Amino acid sequence: MSRIIVVTSGKGGVGKTTITANLGSALGKLGRKVALVDADFGLRNLDLLMGLENRVVYTAMDAIGGECRLDQALVKDKRQNQLVLLPAAQNRNKEAIQPTQMKEIVSKIALSYEYILIDCPAGIEMGFRNAIAAAGEALIVSTPEVASVRDADRVIGLLESHGIEKINLIVNRLKPDMVQMNEMIGVEDVLDVLSIPLIGIIPEDKRMIVASNRGEPLVLGQPDSLPAIAFDNIARRLEGEKVPLLDLMAAQDNIINRLRRLFRT
Amino acid sequence: MTNVTKYLSLVNSYSQVHLKLEGEKLLLILPEGDKSIIDWWSVVDELKCRLNGSDSSWKSGTRVELIANYALEEKQLQGIAQALEEFKLKLKLVCTSNRQTAIAAAGSGFSVQQEPHLETVVDSSQTQSQELAEPLYLKTTIRSGMEVRHPSTIVIWGDLNPGAKAIAAGDIFVWGRLRGIAHAGSGGDRSRHIVALKMEPTQLRIADTLARAPSANPERFEPEVAYIATEGIRLAKAMDFFKTHSFSETIGAWR
Ligand SMILES: Nc1ncnc2c1ncn2[C@@H]1O[C@H](COP(=O)(O)OP(=O)(O)OP(=O)(O)O)[C@@H](O)[C@H]1O
Ligand SMILES: [Mg+2]
Repeated sequence: MSRIIVVTSGKGGVGKTTITANLGSALGKLGRKVALVDADFGLRNLDLLMGLENRVVYTAMDAIGGECRLDQALVKDKRQNQLVLLPAAQNRNKEAIQPTQMKEIVSKIALSYEYILIDCPAGIEMGFRNAIAAAGEALIVSTPEVASVRDADRVIGLLESHGIEKINLIVNRLKPDMVQMNEMIGVEDVLDVLSIPLIGIIPEDKRMIVASNRGEPLVLGQPDSLPAIAFDNIARRLEGEKVPLLDLMAAQDNIINRLRRLFRT
Repeated sequence: MTNVTKYLSLVNSYSQVHLKLEGEKLLLILPEGDKSIIDWWSVVDELKCRLNGSDSSWKSGTRVELIANYALEEKQLQGIAQALEEFKLKLKLVCTSNRQTAIAAAGSGFSVQQEPHLETVVDSSQTQSQELAEPLYLKTTIRSGMEVRHPSTIVIWGDLNPGAKAIAAGDIFVWGRLRGIAHAGSGGDRSRHIVALKMEPTQLRIADTLARAPSANPERFEPEVAYIATEGIRLAKAMDFFKTHSFSETIGAWR
């Protein structure tokens, strides 16, 4: 049985697409057959992050409309041969596609791939309905900000009422120094409201942005960076392995304590 | 006359979905409320949320009768049937005064009962409900954007999150953290209470009185009760409330 996972958040710009690209690549590293589905119709950019823009010929819309075969629409990744991408149409109206069509095409992909990660658009309108239609589980992305947590909570409620029960949380863009200084809410505060299992924490890291712009997921480009390790760990946790959380706060604590000690003496 | 206006305010603040167990069958009532346009997605969402949260005191395979007065298409009826099926409930009969809905129901293979005076059927069940409706028991987290309305008391075994709302004509009990908006006595009853294990609300309302959360909330670690006192909504330790307070009808407040 393949796992169909929607990556969603409610709020825009919190890192859904970045996480879909990196997590997909991390699962690929584990030898899994992975399909990434860009459900952000009209605003596709998963292909950019994967550096696959120049390989896109057909889109999901063409496959749904029967203008090409499904395997023609699936773009093979240039680094991992077990990984494919189904691009979203950029020009068509979001309303043009129906949840049932989305379900149909994803279940076809599920016949030959072990993981299907669906990159959901922001918001809770039709694009969201389409993205979650086929999903069996969900990864909620939230940054440690009140507005992001609020939207994540709303989305969890909607997922639950659609019978999606397996919902895990990724906290993205954590800045341990700001949490330490009480300038930002911490992971516990997020969990306190959302009360769903935490599957990983990704720290804020400039290299994430650089990697996105270069079209090379950080997980592959700089596998030893902290965010890359965090993604690898999430992939392993999805696989059912018990991997302890990276202690981002502890590292921070040490640095700060060291600095404090330095200043005192 | 006063009764009628009181009742009307209750209907207006009534939810879009009402479930009622009647003997062996479950009635699913979709009232029109005061909305001219009904957001269909939110009706289905609310239905699923209700089914999810309710203690499913019904057996699997329970027969469901749908009562709805507004126009429904076949697709929408099938959507409801599907949602019910996820909870092992079977839609059998559609009761409606709306012709389009009746035709759609027949087209989808459900039994149809077309009633010209359905309005009164729904109405009477609601008038009754003001005093008699069972409390609504929800064992779930009420999340941001959700709104639970009920014509009697609401009991939530879980949190009422920021951005969520509970509105009850009766009392509200939150066996968890109350961080959203709670409105008790929504039909105007000033003697109603809001009780929470941990009271950290955005806003509390009882009848027509409102209290906002203080900007600096002192941490309290015991269940509290909100009630109307002469000077407005006040909080007290829930444990001793009834030993130390009584309701005065003349001033419409607890003392
Ligand atoms: N951990 C991180 N550290 C630093 N920058 C990040 C991190 N995660 C994401 N970003 C940056 O945040 C921006 C938004 O990310 P992304 O496009 O993945 O969000 P999204 O949720 O998909 O947005 P949308 O809702 O518009 O689809 C990008 O510039 C990305 O590089
Ligand atoms: Mg995106």
